Amino acid sequence: MSEYNILIAGVGGQGNLLLGRVLADAAADDGYRPVIGETFGASRRGGTVYTHLRIAKSDLGPLIPRGRLDLLVGLEPLEALRASVKFAGLNTTAIVAIEPVQSTISQSGEVDYPDVKTIIDHLRKLCGRVEPINTKEILQTIGTYRVLNTLILGIISEMEITPLRRETIQSSLDKTIGFRGLNKEAFLAGVEVVVKSNKI
Amino acid sequence: MNPQSKREENAKLLSGNEAIAYGAMEAGVAFCTSYPGTPSTEIMETLMVNAEAFALYTEWSTNEKVALEASAGASWMGIPSICSMKSLGLNVAADFLLNLNLSGSGPGGLVIVVCDDPRGHSSSNEQDSRFYAKAAKLPLIEPTDCQEAKDVMPFAFELSRRHQIPIIVRSTTRLSHSRGLVRLGDIEKHKIQANPSIPDNLFNVPNPHIKHKDLDEKLGDVLREFENSEFNSCSEEDGSNLIIIASGIGYRYAMEAIEILGINSTRVVKIVTTYPLPEKIIQDWWNGNKKILFIEEIDPFVEEQVLAIFAEFEWLNSVKEPVEFYGKRNGFVPFYGELNTDIVVDSIAKVLDIQMPFRDDVGNARKEAKDLLIERPLTFCAGCTHRNVYYAIKRVKHRLKDKIIVAGDIGCYSLGVFYDQTMDTMQAMGSGIGVATGLGQLQRFDQDNKILAVAGDSTFYHSCIPGLINARHKNADLTFLILDNSTTAMTGFQEHPGSATQSKNSKIVSIAKIVKAIEPDLFEEVNSEEIDSLIDSIHRAVDQPGLKVLHLKGICRLEAARSESIIRKVEIDTGNCKGSTCKICVSDFGCTGLRWINEDDRPEIVDHICIHCGACISVCPNNAIRREEGIR
Repeated sequence: MSEYNILIAGVGGQGNLLLGRVLADAAADDGYRPVIGETFGASRRGGTVYTHLRIAKSDLGPLIPRGRLDLLVGLEPLEALRASVKFAGLNTTAIVAIEPVQSTISQSGEVDYPDVKTIIDHLRKLCGRVEPINTKEILQTIGTYRVLNTLILGIISEMEITPLRRETIQSSLDKTIGFRGLNKEAFLAGVEVVVKSNKI
Repeated sequence: MNPQSKREENAKLLSGNEAIAYGAMEAGVAFCTSYPGTPSTEIMETLMVNAEAFALYTEWSTNEKVALEASAGASWMGIPSICSMKSLGLNVAADFLLNLNLSGSGPGGLVIVVCDDPRGHSSSNEQDSRFYAKAAKLPLIEPTDCQEAKDVMPFAFELSRRHQIPIIVRSTTRLSHSRGLVRLGDIEKHKIQANPSIPDNLFNVPNPHIKHKDLDEKLGDVLREFENSEFNSCSEEDGSNLIIIASGIGYRYAMEAIEILGINSTRVVKIVTTYPLPEKIIQDWWNGNKKILFIEEIDPFVEEQVLAIFAEFEWLNSVKEPVEFYGKRNGFVPFYGELNTDIVVDSIAKVLDIQMPFRDDVGNARKEAKDLLIERPLTFCAGCTHRNVYYAIKRVKHRLKDKIIVAGDIGCYSLGVFYDQTMDTMQAMGSGIGVATGLGQLQRFDQDNKILAVAGDSTFYHSCIPGLINARHKNADLTFLILDNSTTAMTGFQEHPGSATQSKNSKIVSIAKIVKAIEPDLFEEVNSEEIDSLIDSIHRAVDQPGLKVLHLKGICRLEAARSESIIRKVEIDTGNCKGSTCKICVSDFGCTGLRWINEDDRPEIVDHICIHCGACISVCPNNAIRREEGIR
């Protein structure tokens, strides 16, 4: 069976679900039969959120089985690692926003949020390829953290390893929340990240 | 894979819940009731979005029992009706359900949708609601994907009308909250007219047993339909001597699992009409196979029915060789928690005694990385006034040397169990005040803790009023805190009788007036934004004997954030702060808008999370948190 599996890992409020829906819509526009599994529970209150996006020509179940993760999208480092422990393998490429979102217990000083560099080191052992993205720097230039998801969309749209095409992702973004203003700016900044790095 | 560059026609990316709503609309539904609860909420929300376009009546009812009663009424008068709810909601509606089954639904047809939550992602329990179908002897349908979730709805409505009984459709979290392409049909906007009169005999007395007999006959007719239903299917056989009987989302897991295991041609029987179980097709499709494996979410519901059928086969001597059954009863499939493809792969491998095809290519790295992870405990949102209330309760508890028991309830404020376990109990909607009426009678047995009950506003309307009346009538000694933020916050701000803004034709029902009419010994309204007065009011109330009710007026910051941007920022005065010798703000109060910086030994305001409510200002004993200077 030919399939491409994407897992988006983050915490509530990062625009995870929207990101998954835009990508799935783009896949549908290209004639695939995407399936999304959303796991969020009471996520608004600080918990982990995963979106499983499975792209194939026939219907698949909503959850990615072990060993079949192609692209891991980490919206923050700790959740990227948590998802990797469960789902990643040497066939997995990970793109990871390196700006942490604190947990309540790290925020209160009860425990330390793990060192980001150490997290990336561990990710490299779990995934075939890891591309850390300095999202903080880019988003500071744009002036808001709220467009993290469209920045990531821009990155994915320009990556060659996915079956998704930039035009369809962009038009799907336009249909969903509008391709304009800060979202357009962030999307294009994401495209730029890939063009510049010349390797993702 | 190459793109085919063309989207399938009329195919929309829908969640299972949205698909159920679209299916109901294609079936011509006109009357829709529900009470919000994850994972079922989006069914009604989708219907509400389309209410005007397709002339639907929609309401968030006060609770699920009322919702079911209302939709039964409409169905009796000829209006096609749907009533959706989560698993626990069906418990609330069960009293009516087990009368309605005998009385029958009306000419309009009635479909009840119940969404179970395996693993209890967003629930206070793990329950399999399919047993209600069996208890009420009502037909049960379980779709296996989003397309089928839509497709079964017109069938369910026709079935209901044909046999004049409600039909139960069961979904689970993983279907309700997954999305797939769904081919849509047409939805007609038609004017439905109510029948001029109500049908005869909509009661079960004086001979409920005869009604029971009638229901059994109806169920027999339904069974014959189910045996010919094209929703059930069976793949070709490969002679491996194993068949898998799967239902719900479990069918998708089973199909993928056999592909992963490289045994693609194993026979998989898909059962969508799971009660009454179509015996004949089970017998036909079993076809003498030696091993039967059951894949279904939560309890062995289909499994036990099949076992019962086979007991009869054996009795009829149709089984020559003993059949081996594998499932939740004998631990080949986990009997608790949620399934997924990997679990089903493991189950099949165990049954067939084959080597696992999955070899972990990263070895020890997985375990090492796991050790690095830290948890993300659930917590109140930044600035949430529920935190203020629990902080105040903690303070009072401290003053009374822990001699307080807090009986809790269901809602955002249930997070009190994770807030230093400030809430001691949590079961069903309304059971906080109910449990407290019992605890509040135990002085006669030398119980000397103060009794506190908490409930939210939507929960108050849903189920707290009988408990409160009981407390008044029996003179229970307790303090009842109503944490009112004027919305159903947990499930996404659905309207309830106390919501600040009401839709057309809705009228606010005042909590204060209801409580005052019950005449507690003390009634006080307190602003939850002011922690000092919260502490004082709660302490005073608890110290006084009798039935005390505090109406705590709070704010849902998530909802507020949708409409306003707030005022001056809050800042730390690092000179006044006593550092980790105190640390009350992050350790004790613990708002997510505050973060401890070890290097500085000081807290910091997390700018993009803090909503500037200023609750932490009064929490700090050293006046080290203050409003930034500036113009409001």
